[in-house]
Amino acid sequence: MSRAPLWLRRYAALIRNAWLVDLQYRASIVLWLLWGVTEPAVALGIWWGIAGDGQVAGYARADFARYFFALMLVNQLTIAWDSWYLDGWIREGELNFRLARPLHPAHEAVAENIAYKARTAGMIVVVWLVVSLVWPAVRLPLAPGRWALTAAAVLLAAAMRFFISFTTGLLAFWTTRATAIMELHAGVSLFLSGRLAPLALLPPAVAAAAALTWFPYMLAFPVELLTGAAQGRAVVTGFVGQLVWLGVWIAAYHVTWTRGLRRYGAVGG
Amino acid sequence: MGQWEDEFILDCGLRIADWRWRVEVQGNVRGSKRSLTIRNPQSAIRILAALWRLNLAEELQYRANFVASVLGTFFWIGTALLTLAVFFSHATRLGGWDYWEVVVLLGVFNALTGVIEAVLRPGIGRLAGEVRNGGLDLVLAKPVDAQAFVSFRRLDIWRLSDVVLGLTLAGYALHRLGHTPSLAQLAAFALALASAAVVVYALWVALMSLAFWFVSVENLSVLFDAVYEGARYPVSAYPEALRFLFVYLIPIAWTTTIPASALTGRLRPEIGLAAALVAGTALALSRLVWRAALKRYTGASG
Repeated sequence: MSRAPLWLRRYAALIRNAWLVDLQYRASIVLWLLWGVTEPAVALGIWWGIAGDGQVAGYARADFARYFFALMLVNQLTIAWDSWYLDGWIREGELNFRLARPLHPAHEAVAENIAYKARTAGMIVVVWLVVSLVWPAVRLPLAPGRWALTAAAVLLAAAMRFFISFTTGLLAFWTTRATAIMELHAGVSLFLSGRLAPLALLPPAVAAAAALTWFPYMLAFPVELLTGAAQGRAVVTGFVGQLVWLGVWIAAYHVTWTRGLRRYGAVGG
Repeated sequence: MGQWEDEFILDCGLRIADWRWRVEVQGNVRGSKRSLTIRNPQSAIRILAALWRLNLAEELQYRANFVASVLGTFFWIGTALLTLAVFFSHATRLGGWDYWEVVVLLGVFNALTGVIEAVLRPGIGRLAGEVRNGGLDLVLAKPVDAQAFVSFRRLDIWRLSDVVLGLTLAGYALHRLGHTPSLAQLAAFALALASAAVVVYALWVALMSLAFWFVSVENLSVLFDAVYEGARYPVSAYPEALRFLFVYLIPIAWTTTIPASALTGRLRPEIGLAAALVAGTALALSRLVWRAALKRYTGASG
């Protein structure tokens, strides 16, 4: 346990550093945020029109509004850009000096993620609060217990997406198209992780197949936990699924990292 | 590294075009007072041709990119069709459009994506970085119109496959609709599609001009992607407020909804003329924005 304060200090320094770097690129971060919320906003617009005054598979307009607002927030809290960074580091040799540091490069990446997410998610929360003043549809029921569960699920989802992104980025040790693989992953996740529609609205066979993959656990599950759509057994299976897949991706990361490093012939100076 | 190569090649292209023009049109350069009359349109076309020929030669070295680009397009179209399938499993119409009509629109969207990825993103899309690091100095020092040069200096030829695939998709969807467009509808479509390309171009110019005010923002092109996301579906599918926004303020309705409507006969062929008018206005406005923006440029390279 005596090492805990040391790590705390290290992370405090790393996060502070990442926060200050982000501070320089405030406008860029706002643009990425804007880019991140247009997809759910467009999906909400379409479902809004389809739902009309009725319901679509149990979802009325207000339910769609809550779902996609929660999606914007959870997506921002769990998104990980690491595969793009790693791809660049490996191809251009920037990984070299990161390897030379007395700290595993992943820690720096984690700290950057924390700083970035705190900033962008904070902005979304503020916007959400303001919008909910004038638009009752997006208000969430006051349920601290559920929010606590959601926080745990978001943390697990963020960890999983980090390891997915990091591991995929490491594929740059072997291929020049690592980011293309990540985009392929993003294309599949559009459907299976609930970005386009709540999973209940997909054909039952597709939704059942999705449950066998990691996709619903990285986004749809925490979102439905927050909106209250996930109840009872679904909560338990959701957490089990998250833990299992997180374990799988950590293992995948471990294998890729050790094998990749052995392969790595440094580029650049 | 890549950027310097590009710069070098562009410079060579420009010089070749310049020399040729002097030799062919002016004959003996020495003593001529008109040596900087390169603004005449014929030479502009020569420069463009020279630039694109060099681009083509460069791109032909990377033929694997063609395969990757086509595969990417197929994946994108597949995703878009599945997206529609999800929407249409809960609705029979989207904003009053039936499935194959929306697919026509998707084809138009994809064709325009091809234009964006082949010409605009690799050209004017790099502007923000150049304003930041002073690379624009090199452009401004050239005896050509800066906006035209920045906009059309590159042609990523492989991405033009998106235009072909998009139009093919639109044609197939028309076939499934059982609709054979009349000559007037085809003409209106051609006019509306050309206008759409102009509107998209004007949007890029206006958005990228923001780089002169917000110098530290490198990812300005993301702003276009965010805006253009709305053009994937007919504007009538959106709530009232968004519809107003897309028709009048950020005119992306004119980029996909209008050409698709002209082709399927949803709107009368006269809409083509309205589209041309909108495109002209957008182009003029974007030119004004560019002029105002350029005045703020002070140069950053040493």
